[in-house]
Amino acid sequence: MRRFSLAFLAAFVFIFLWGWLYNGVLLKDVYTQSLWRPQNETISLFHWIIIGQAILVLAFVMIYASGFAGGGVAAGIRLGIMLEILAIGARMMMYAVQPLPAKLIVYWSVGGLIEMIVTGAIVGAIYKPTTSAAI
Amino acid sequence: MNPKRFFIAFIVTFVFIFLFGFLWYGKFMQDIHNEVPMLWRTEADFGSHFPWLILGHVVMAFFLTLLYARFVPAGGAAAGIVLGILVACLYIGNNLVTFAVQPLTTKILGGWIVGNLLEFGIAGAIVGALYKPSTAV
Repeated sequence: MRRFSLAFLAAFVFIFLWGWLYNGVLLKDVYTQSLWRPQNETISLFHWIIIGQAILVLAFVMIYASGFAGGGVAAGIRLGIMLEILAIGARMMMYAVQPLPAKLIVYWSVGGLIEMIVTGAIVGAIYKPTTSAAI
Repeated sequence: MNPKRFFIAFIVTFVFIFLFGFLWYGKFMQDIHNEVPMLWRTEADFGSHFPWLILGHVVMAFFLTLLYARFVPAGGAAAGIVLGILVACLYIGNNLVTFAVQPLTTKILGGWIVGNLLEFGIAGAIVGALYKPSTAV
């Protein structure tokens, strides 16, 4: 449980900082369309970003702990890549229904891949099962 | 890995999530989505981007099946449901972030959350029921 909590906290801190750096700073100028909330509105809903990222990280660590634990950093990275490709599938659907620029989908997918690989490495490095047998 | 069972599970999962998406997001939630029309493509524009919708479903069904085959290949439907709900939680987390940055209504957010739980819970059960490893693990 201690390892689980540590892995969750470390991955959450990384995802939060990466999300801010990548979307809030690097891609800032790409979010110029009318599809986005005004900045002050987003700030007032900022807690949803934190809750959303916490749920995402919790689910990631639970999947890792249930089926990949014991594999270390490599298993974490493999899981991260698989989950990110699932997310890319969802982004393709989003692109089909929302008038998002194609380059934003590419940027999100590149950033998402980096994010999930690093998250997987963090979780794989920190979380260790109490027994050697994974479920 | 059992390629025949994998392929069957993948195809059935694809058909399910495609039909579920059409019924839940396209029909049941249509009026709710139309409350914020500026967020969506026009009908003609959507038609020209339809291949992306199909490709997205193919990718999701394939990688959900692959994840299950690596996760708990002999776990059956129950393990598939657990995996499906955990995967749904990844999407729900993302939905909450999207809600903070896009002018979605709370009804849309709620519909997406319930839709994700149903869609991935059932899809996980389908994969778990259909996929069997070639040798017992």
